[in-house]
Amino acid sequence: MPSKFVRLVLAGSTALTLFGGAGMAMAKDNITFAAAVFAEAGRGDRVREWVEEFNASQDEVSVEPVAIPFSSLANTVFTQMGGGGGPDLVRFDQTDFFAAIPSGRLLALDDLIDETAFPFLAPDRFMKVDGVRYGLLFDTTGYALLYNENLVPEPPADFETFLSVAKEQTKDGNFGYAYRATMAERAGFWQDTTNFVYGFGGRWSDDAGNLTLNSPEVVAGIAAYKAVYDAEIIPKGADAATYRRMFWEGKIAMNVDNGGVAAIFNSNAPDLPFGVAPSPFPDRAQGLIMTALVVNANTQHPEAAAKFLNWAYQPENQAGLLNAMGTNVGTVVELTDEQLAARPWLPAYEEQMEYALPQVVLGFESQTPEIQQIVLEQVLEVLQGGAEPQAAMDRAQALAERRIRR
Amino acid sequence: MSTRRSASARLEGHPLTPYLFAAPVAIYLILFQFYPLVQEFYLSFTATDLLRPSDSTFVGLDNYSFLIEVGDLHKVLGVTAIYTICCVVFAVGLGLLAALLLDAPFVGRGVARALVTVPWAAPSVAVALVFTWMFNAQYGIFNHGLRALSLPFGAENWLDSPNLALPAILLTTVWQIFPFSSVVILAALQGVPQELREAAAIDGADRFNIFKTAVWPTIQPTVFMLVLFVTIWSLRRFDLIWLMTQGGPIGATNTLVIELYRQGFVYRDLGSAAAIGMIGLTVALVITVIYFKVTQAAERAQGKR
Amino acid sequence: MGTQTTHLPRIIAVLAMLGVASFPIYWMFVTSLTPSSELFATSPNMLPRFEQLGIYLEVFRTIPVATWLWNSFVVAAGTTVLSIALAILPAYALSRFRFAGIAILGFALFATQMLPEAMLVVPLYAIFGQLSLLNSLFGLILANTAFVVPVITWIIKGAIDSIPLEVEEAARVDGCSRIDIVLAIVIPLITPTLAAAAVIAFFHGWNEYVFAQTLISSEALRTASVGLASFVGELSTPIHSVMTVGVIYTLPAVVFYLFAQRYVVAGMTAGSVKG
Repeated sequence: MPSKFVRLVLAGSTALTLFGGAGMAMAKDNITFAAAVFAEAGRGDRVREWVEEFNASQDEVSVEPVAIPFSSLANTVFTQMGGGGGPDLVRFDQTDFFAAIPSGRLLALDDLIDETAFPFLAPDRFMKVDGVRYGLLFDTTGYALLYNENLVPEPPADFETFLSVAKEQTKDGNFGYAYRATMAERAGFWQDTTNFVYGFGGRWSDDAGNLTLNSPEVVAGIAAYKAVYDAEIIPKGADAATYRRMFWEGKIAMNVDNGGVAAIFNSNAPDLPFGVAPSPFPDRAQGLIMTALVVNANTQHPEAAAKFLNWAYQPENQAGLLNAMGTNVGTVVELTDEQLAARPWLPAYEEQMEYALPQVVLGFESQTPEIQQIVLEQVLEVLQGGAEPQAAMDRAQALAERRIRR
Repeated sequence: MSTRRSASARLEGHPLTPYLFAAPVAIYLILFQFYPLVQEFYLSFTATDLLRPSDSTFVGLDNYSFLIEVGDLHKVLGVTAIYTICCVVFAVGLGLLAALLLDAPFVGRGVARALVTVPWAAPSVAVALVFTWMFNAQYGIFNHGLRALSLPFGAENWLDSPNLALPAILLTTVWQIFPFSSVVILAALQGVPQELREAAAIDGADRFNIFKTAVWPTIQPTVFMLVLFVTIWSLRRFDLIWLMTQGGPIGATNTLVIELYRQGFVYRDLGSAAAIGMIGLTVALVITVIYFKVTQAAERAQGKR
Repeated sequence: MGTQTTHLPRIIAVLAMLGVASFPIYWMFVTSLTPSSELFATSPNMLPRFEQLGIYLEVFRTIPVATWLWNSFVVAAGTTVLSIALAILPAYALSRFRFAGIAILGFALFATQMLPEAMLVVPLYAIFGQLSLLNSLFGLILANTAFVVPVITWIIKGAIDSIPLEVEEAARVDGCSRIDIVLAIVIPLITPTLAAAAVIAFFHGWNEYVFAQTLISSEALRTASVGLASFVGELSTPIHSVMTVGVIYTLPAVVFYLFAQRYVVAGMTAGSVKG
């Protein structure tokens, strides 16, 4: 027998035992909680500390936060879930949440948590599908107009004013506005487009279950998106990370963005005076960001997960989470005056919650990614290919209908 | 060749030796490559959700026909073809140039050779981020440079423009992969017999002819093998494109593997992803077969076989 | 081509090439040191601001970069050792033996190069799950090796092709078994090719992303490629940390190459000359 091989096999099995045995079960129930936010600068550490409070408060369960890169969270976790594994708890954004439900990979939570015990915010209703609760609202925020008060003393109240203010502000290397318009940021591009569409009264689908991608209001929203693009008031091609940084460096005057971003502006540039106002569109409906805290159906420790869930939604812990995240959390939280003073943008965003709608295509939630791709490609044709909004959206409607009929 | 066969026969020992030698790798490949491949082949004829990979519904050729009719398959294949050909031509070409430049002795040659591998050593995520930043329309160094040179196009939105996105991606990709070619060719250049070069030089040949008669024949098999590998790898290169453009804008950089990833992990449609994988595999197999036929014919012509 | 070393055009060409190769990394370095407020200046800051170098130490303090680098190193080194060990014998077999199946093996090795990681990660996850190889660096090493062995086998085969059979025959006459021939005679003769193969395997293991992201779920075992990607956040990207870690992540691989290249080029006899 070739000695080299024997040596190899021995080495291999030793290594396997060493590495494989490293994850031995401990006296505490060890469960994992995966989220992209754990890797975020600033926020990530605060949320980790919040999880540690739970670990320190009792001896039976230990929650291990696992940061997964945002861009690959869904495909990583989905692959793991599909393979019978995956983290025990996950914070999913809405598109992924709705995608996971039909496949039965999420544990129904009705038995694990008494929902009447907690004052959930309105968007929590989306956590139930066909009467079964699959997730708990973890954090939520809407969209509003953030503006640099040094550059724009009064926020524009309508779209025409907004355009002219933005044009005025685009000079000397500054820009009046910024949004996403590249496929590389598909999810964000969709959010920004949806805000414009909702803001002009459009909806992606109607109550009868039809797609309405080419309704006049939707087309108006797309036309407005194009108007902004053509007005040369945005740093074209800049991704959100870049233009948000530009905003807090004072190079962008206005930006429709979510509450989490307001928190980021504040922590990176505490001296920057920025204001919050409703988005400058005719309709107050804007997109809703909501993330769901879910339990993996593959989990070996549902009771441990339930313990964490019940702890997480206690009022004092919700307050702690709100402090960590900087945005609204799943339940109503009473803030002290000084907490409010530290986060002056929260009331405006809370007010916006009334008008907020999820950014998935209602009625076609789990097919949203495919519809997204089709719509965004047509929007790009409008922005860069010179296509007419109505014609482009008609094409989108036809392609999407063909796609979902499959 | 017959000499070789009989020489090897003289070395023959235990009849099982060849199988023992080949077995570990064969088992390894079967377990980690072929078993998944067979699974993928089967999956391509089913409708399967990423979240439930074991619940497959047989749908026959439906995935394939959908890809062809609605999925713009021809456009994807076209982009893939352009991407692959350009990668091969420029990466191997630049690699060859680099290897030739680094072959002759000069002060600091060792350091130069190590520096040339820096693109290959750099992790894709960092490369994608820094190149995206360099391509930035307002603040990127490329546009700054173009403006400084007073060239008319200095405000280009590289990654965002349907016409410039693919060249930008190609530039980034070729930058990252040409060191591999140069390392391999450099190693092969060490095998060029010095006498051949000197003989050609004595004959009064200029540098180009020295290259043609003495150097090229020696490194030609290596370069051809390199061409094949780079071609095949281009069919599967993913990281940079996904991180920089996700296949956009409007499909300008949407290669086969990008479309595969999108079908499998964004739409969660494993069946369609597998179908694209099979199509890619077929293309690669065809290329390989052509390669083998061409090199065999070339070697026959040169009287080597 | 052999003797003239001070040709001006040659020097310019070499410098230009080195400039092209290293500029983006240089730019990564400069960007990592550029204060946020100056990133958007109208004329860019071309030189590194060395006073900001503190960020390189800061990054080790606040981010588990050292852990990531260590894990990447284990994966890369493991891939290198395992793949070379696995590749030598089949490479020898492909070169010296002629029997049914060897041609199939050779072709099969090529065929595996055509499979993207994205396509194989789902079935591999299931297989690894059954073999309890998930969330272990060893499992990741196994996965990476599967992808690297074919290339290495072909390259080593090419090197073995160029060793004259007479050398082996002499050893045979002396009563050596095949294995002894391989270990004692062939391997020492192909050291430069083995070094080149080591570089290829190391770089692959060092940079691999798709498998590292899916097969490893605990943060303690995260590799630098995934760690770097995790910076690209949902809402903002700390560009300085990313560029800093990017530079830090590139260096070890370059150092490894500096170390290995001494073996790669020195006297590498006709690596793949006879194809």
